[in-house]
Amino acid sequence: MAYSDKVVDHYEHPRNVGSLPKDDPNVGTGLVGAPECGDVMRLQMKINPETQVIEEAKFKTFGCGSAIASSSLATEWVKGKTVSEALAISNTDIVRELSLPPVKIHCSVLAEDAIKAAIEDWKKKKEVSAPAANATAGN
Amino acid sequence: MSAATTTAATSANCGNCSAATGGAHFCPACGKIQPLPRGTDYFAFFGLPQKLTLDLEQLEQKFHSLSWKLHPDHFARASEDERQLSLDRSSQLNDAYRTLRDPVARVEYLLGLAGMRKEGQKKQQAPPELLEEVFELNESLDELRETRASGGTAATMSGLRAKLETAQHKFEASLAAVDLELARVSTEWDAALDSSADDAAKKKLMEKMNEVLNRRSYIRNMVNGVRQELAGA
Repeated sequence: MAYSDKVVDHYEHPRNVGSLPKDDPNVGTGLVGAPECGDVMRLQMKINPETQVIEEAKFKTFGCGSAIASSSLATEWVKGKTVSEALAISNTDIVRELSLPPVKIHCSVLAEDAIKAAIEDWKKKKEVSAPAANATAGN
Repeated sequence: MSAATTTAATSANCGNCSAATGGAHFCPACGKIQPLPRGTDYFAFFGLPQKLTLDLEQLEQKFHSLSWKLHPDHFARASEDERQLSLDRSSQLNDAYRTLRDPVARVEYLLGLAGMRKEGQKKQQAPPELLEEVFELNESLDELRETRASGGTAATMSGLRAKLETAQHKFEASLAAVDLELARVSTEWDAALDSSADDAAKKKLMEKMNEVLNRRSYIRNMVNGVRQELAGA
């Protein structure tokens, strides 16, 4: 099975490889994995708390070409988007853009999960840093 | 769920003499080879319950005796139908034997029957602590590769090697522990079958086995990765 040109391009020139400071309150980290193939993917984004815009995104993935391409593409796509726009990205968008074959669909699912996990992590941090506001809202 | 946890019930009849065959390989009345009833799983193929503790010696004996009985050479002068049946059954026999003799493949197969080992949309989640460990180890592996490629000093290389060797021992110990855990849950599964536990209890055990298998596949990949890397370093 041959990879599509886009997968090869992302694999050979991955965008936004690296890391962001994990303890920064504005950074959300999503670490996900696919046990069947042993892939592990970390996606991080720096989110502006005022505007909810994703200002920076980095990833590091250990896995096959499709997993690397999916996460590389995901960082490109989320940059400049708001949190709610990023949450709307679906794995099928990634499948279409990269022309992933059926056996590699789980790689795109992983990338979608990573986006969601990173945003989830960021939201959790916000709750912790603003407990007073939360307590009022909760009661 | 219930279909997967009970041995396939079969109400087949012989195509030759119409006697009830009960899904046997050969008709008990006329001795003709029988088509595979739909839903015959590997356990049923060997006439076994869906238990995870198997007597390997017995399994091997059954395998040898069946492969002799089903062998296409015995059907060289039989009808075309029977020759095809002998091929089908022989090929399923080999698959069944290969799967059941391996304790890990056996569990995977059992869960697969219940539709629990699907790839793709269905999520197979690994515990977060394990993901962290796997990620860190992958980073150390990367570091070693890069240092080697850029011709790092002997001191840096041996430092990295030592770090990886420690990681290797740790992961090998984890693999042994996870295998032990799988054996333990397998025993629990067999006990549940013996005491005809309800579907909810069985499902819970299957989920546990699934989780153990996921962890195992990560750890095994890591062990292999580190071994390869250390062999080349």
